[in-house]
Amino acid sequence: MTPTADIPLKEPAISAAASDAEQLERARIDASTRLPVLMFYASAMVWLLIGTLLGVIVSFKLHQPDWLTDVGFLSWGRLQPVYINVMIYGWASMAAMGTAIWMMARLCRTTLRHPLIIVSGIWFWNIGVLIGLTGILVGYGTGYPWLEFPPYAAVVLFVAYALVMSWAVLMFRFRRGEQIYITQWYLLGAFLWFPWLYAAAQAMLFVVPIQGVMQAAVNCWYSNNLLFLWLGAIALGTAYYMIPKVIGRPVYSYHLATIGFWTYAFFSSWTGMQRLVDGPFPAWMITASIAATILTIIPVATVGLNHHMTMQGYFPVMRYSPTLRFTVFGAMSYTVFSVVGILISLRSIARYLHFTQASIAYSQIGLYAFVTMILFGSMYYIVPRLVGREWRYATLIKLHFWASAYGIGLMSLMLLVAGIAQGADQNDPSMSFIQSVSSTLPYLRGRTVAALLLTVSHFIFAFHFGLMLFGLGRTSTVPTFLNPVEAEGSEVHR
Amino acid sequence: MKGLVPLFLGVFGTFAFSWFGLTVIPNLQIGALNPQADEEGTDVYPQPPSGMAVRGREVYAANGCVYCHSQQIRPDYVSADIDRKWGERRSAPRDYLFDRPVLLGQERMGPDLSNLGKRAPGEGEKSATPPAANPPTAPPAQSPPPPNSGPQKPPPGGPPTAAQSPAASPAQAKPAPPGNAPAQPSPAPAQAAANPSPSPSASPNPNGIPPLYSAAWHHRHLYAPRSVNPDNEDSTMPAYKFLYEKHPISGERSADALELTGRDVPPPGWEVVPTYDAECLVAYLMSLDQSHPLKEVKSVAASAAAGSPPMAPAGLQTPGPPPAAPKK
Repeated sequence: MTPTADIPLKEPAISAAASDAEQLERARIDASTRLPVLMFYASAMVWLLIGTLLGVIVSFKLHQPDWLTDVGFLSWGRLQPVYINVMIYGWASMAAMGTAIWMMARLCRTTLRHPLIIVSGIWFWNIGVLIGLTGILVGYGTGYPWLEFPPYAAVVLFVAYALVMSWAVLMFRFRRGEQIYITQWYLLGAFLWFPWLYAAAQAMLFVVPIQGVMQAAVNCWYSNNLLFLWLGAIALGTAYYMIPKVIGRPVYSYHLATIGFWTYAFFSSWTGMQRLVDGPFPAWMITASIAATILTIIPVATVGLNHHMTMQGYFPVMRYSPTLRFTVFGAMSYTVFSVVGILISLRSIARYLHFTQASIAYSQIGLYAFVTMILFGSMYYIVPRLVGREWRYATLIKLHFWASAYGIGLMSLMLLVAGIAQGADQNDPSMSFIQSVSSTLPYLRGRTVAALLLTVSHFIFAFHFGLMLFGLGRTSTVPTFLNPVEAEGSEVHR
Repeated sequence: MKGLVPLFLGVFGTFAFSWFGLTVIPNLQIGALNPQADEEGTDVYPQPPSGMAVRGREVYAANGCVYCHSQQIRPDYVSADIDRKWGERRSAPRDYLFDRPVLLGQERMGPDLSNLGKRAPGEGEKSATPPAANPPTAPPAQSPPPPNSGPQKPPPGGPPTAAQSPAASPAQAKPAPPGNAPAQPSPAPAQAAANPSPSPSASPNPNGIPPLYSAAWHHRHLYAPRSVNPDNEDSTMPAYKFLYEKHPISGERSADALELTGRDVPPPGWEVVPTYDAECLVAYLMSLDQSHPLKEVKSVAASAAAGSPPMAPAGLQTPGPPPAAPKK
């Protein structure tokens, strides 16, 4: 497409003096966020490794159910919720908060005040996750998917969240410049949505439990919105920050961004009940969610178009920038995620794929291919700016990317095909039930292979991150490119 | 975006709208139901669960049963749930009045359990009586499977790993009773014949498997899911061995000790008994019953009863009397 000469590996021309002042300001802001953000990342990384190993165990046990069955805390039924909760609250939420706080400080052009309070919040959050998963392991899981942590763990998480996010939101008060950038909308939205969402779900399920099947509805409403309004919103905001930043070009259309944000907030918050299709619920609420799911095509199209037009002509930069490569993969996965979500929500398809592995594929695409990949991308951008070193090995970054990409690709594919086979068998009453299980087994084994790939990728990344954390990165003014840049490699998009 | 206030209002508004629309309004509609009763105020359904069932529900929730088992019957025009004899009618909100937590489930790696209790062999067996107490009343589906139904589909890699998992039960390291066929479970009759019961006083069924869906069957299924039916080899259900205690027999053999076969047999002088949690879990499983008619739901089975046989305990592993020849 575009020859390398056109690739903007340099900052757009700014006068030297202004550039120096900006560099100083950014350095000051980064210094204020260094400790909390690195702590968020380090904690998230530990949870990621734990979660990954649990994921392998859980995936393996699903097709080898006689493995490790003598002790309660090693049983599949307890490790499975621990795995998913560690991934959501340990890895994704913590990495997302780290990225969000860093971007917020940069975008508000203000230093982070009281970083130590945030640091204590991080400790509380870690303790909350630890309490929660211990509760599940010893047999106090609640049985509500994605809310298995016993209610007392939720209290700790609340305290932690208040300590962290009140200061992140307060940065708005000290912001400089009138313009509120699109990323800030997503971040502010996510910061406010999560506590409301979590509080509403906790209140309706544990504090003042509501009657009967409505608990399941609240549960689905919560888990879907957690994915969209909390993790998804931060991920989209990150993509809006990273893509223009790396290629040094403003977002293509401000109006598209506005439309994308509000339709996203409006429609995706109404999804969730499609997971209860044909269940014991009023038909209108399920239909409303299916309609909302279909309408999420509007934010998908506008956000996707906006990113695409921003990237237009700059796609070759993905050859060099790790951040861009991960972020664009995640942004594209957002489209895939939504399209899969729309397809499996249609009643004619849901009658086959409901209750099958396909719904797990959907969650995995959302949690991993979309959210996690964008978070990886942001970490490749942010960590060097915090530790003052560049990533040491381009090879490791490439390995990380390809193992992750192939891992999640294989996993989604396996789960989707398993779901189709399973659903077709289950809807054929002449087949015994066990045949529907048998037909998923080959794919479930394939899923274990995918989980192993992801394990490799995460351990590579953790090792690389560890090097950075202990100051073993490269001392250089040039970022680490995935491939050697033919043009003169100079300071890029700092 | 000009200012913070419209942004904040918008963020709050979208959330509030979704919360109100998807949780509050439906809750007004179906969140305050009462049990159904007939004119005389008798025949009340649903009834509050027993204490053991309440605790059993917690055990069910805490041990992740909900990730593989649903508890909802979809209507016949969208699914095969009713054709599979999982229930006679679709589930309705009223069925779940007393459920906390509600365990509808989103996945079916195992069959639906909405009417599991209904499928139990009969009255008088609601407690964990030993299988010896009910020999001849077995329903037809628990008769020995046809000889050719043995290992229909040996899963690649399944048997070897099962055989080489020494961690499965530490006590098994001791010399096990003779006649074990660990790797390839042969059809049940052969296994039972080659496998004398550790307790001479017990006289189990000829094939050693308790009546399908009886309490004793549930215990054995929870302890060793793949032992209750040779066709069940591909079942992915984890064994809940940790809900059971293996200890030396002191004096009399416990009345509720499990009758096990194959590699699961405890060493001589030992027995496997359910813990209280396991008793509660089975009590809960056997309390699952949505068969009572509801005014708001049309019972499919009732209208189509002429042709179809009554609800048979089929569908978990074997299609009892197969309604049609399997396609595959």
